[in-house]
Amino acid sequence: MNVEFIIGIGLIILGTVATAWPSPKTYITRLINLEIPAFGLLIIMLSFDETIALLTFIAVTVITTFVFVRVIGKKEGSG
Amino acid sequence: MIETFHIGLYAAALCIIIAFFSFIKESDDLHRLILTDLAAIMALFLIALVGTDLAEALILPGLVVAISKLMALSEVYIMKEGIRHNKENSVLDIEVLKSAPAILAAILVIYGIILSGFPGGAVAGVGIIFYLICKGHKERFELIETASGYAWVGWMLAFFIMIIIPSQWFLAMMLAGGAILLKVTAKLSLIGTMRGDNNV
Repeated sequence: MNVEFIIGIGLIILGTVATAWPSPKTYITRLINLEIPAFGLLIIMLSFDETIALLTFIAVTVITTFVFVRVIGKKEGSG
Repeated sequence: MIETFHIGLYAAALCIIIAFFSFIKESDDLHRLILTDLAAIMALFLIALVGTDLAEALILPGLVVAISKLMALSEVYIMKEGIRHNKENSVLDIEVLKSAPAILAAILVIYGIILSGFPGGAVAGVGIIFYLICKGHKERFELIETASGYAWVGWMLAFFIMIIIPSQWFLAMMLAGGAILLKVTAKLSLIGTMRGDNNV
C-alpha cells in the first residue's frame, strides 16, 4: 500500500468516469480521456515492479492510438 | 499485501460497474469500440493486482490479444459502415509524421536491440512502424516472412541447446532473446505496412 498504488487507483477511477461520460461527447474527447485510466494502470504496474508488462503496455498503447485515430479519421471523413 | 489486493479489487469492481453502465447506454458503434478498450484496461488492472511474475506472464498475451481484437473489430466496423473506398488515403496525413526525422525510428530500434527479448521486439517494431508510416513503404512481405522464419528456427534451436547441452545455457538464452526480438519486430512491422489503400 504505497503512494504509487493510491495514485494509480485514483487515476483509474477518475479516468473511468471521465471516459464513461465525456463532457463534449465526441470520439476524440473520449479517446483522450481514455489515456487517464491507461496512465493509472501504468502507475499500478510501476508500484508492483512489473517492468516488462509496463514497457509492452506502452508499446501497445501507441499502436492502439494509431488504429483508433485511423478509424475515427475514416468515420469523420465519410461524414 | 492482502489488504492492498482487496482495496484494488473494490476499486476494480467500481470501475467495471461504471464502464458497464456506460456501455449499456451507448448506441454509437465507434463509441462502443473505444469503450471496449476501456474494458481491456479494466481486465489488465485486475490481472496486475496479483502483483507477481504470474501477472506479468498473463499481461503480455493479454495485450497481444487485445491489440489483435481491436484491429479485427476496427476492420469489421469499417466494412460495416461502408466507408472503405470513398476516400483517398488521406488518413494519418499528419504534419508531424512528414516532418519528423527518421532518426527517432533509429533510436527506437537501437533501444529495442539493447532491451532484447519480447519488450525489445515491441520497441523495435514500434520504431519500424513509425518509419514506415513516415516514409511510405514498398511491400516486401517475403523479406519479413523470411526473417520471421529464421527467428523461429533460432528460437527452437535455443530450446534444443537448453535441453541437450545445459552447460551452454547462456548461449541458448541469448539466441532465444535475439530470435524473439526479431520475431516480435517482424510481426509489429506488418502493422506499419497497413497504411496502403488496398490493405485495410
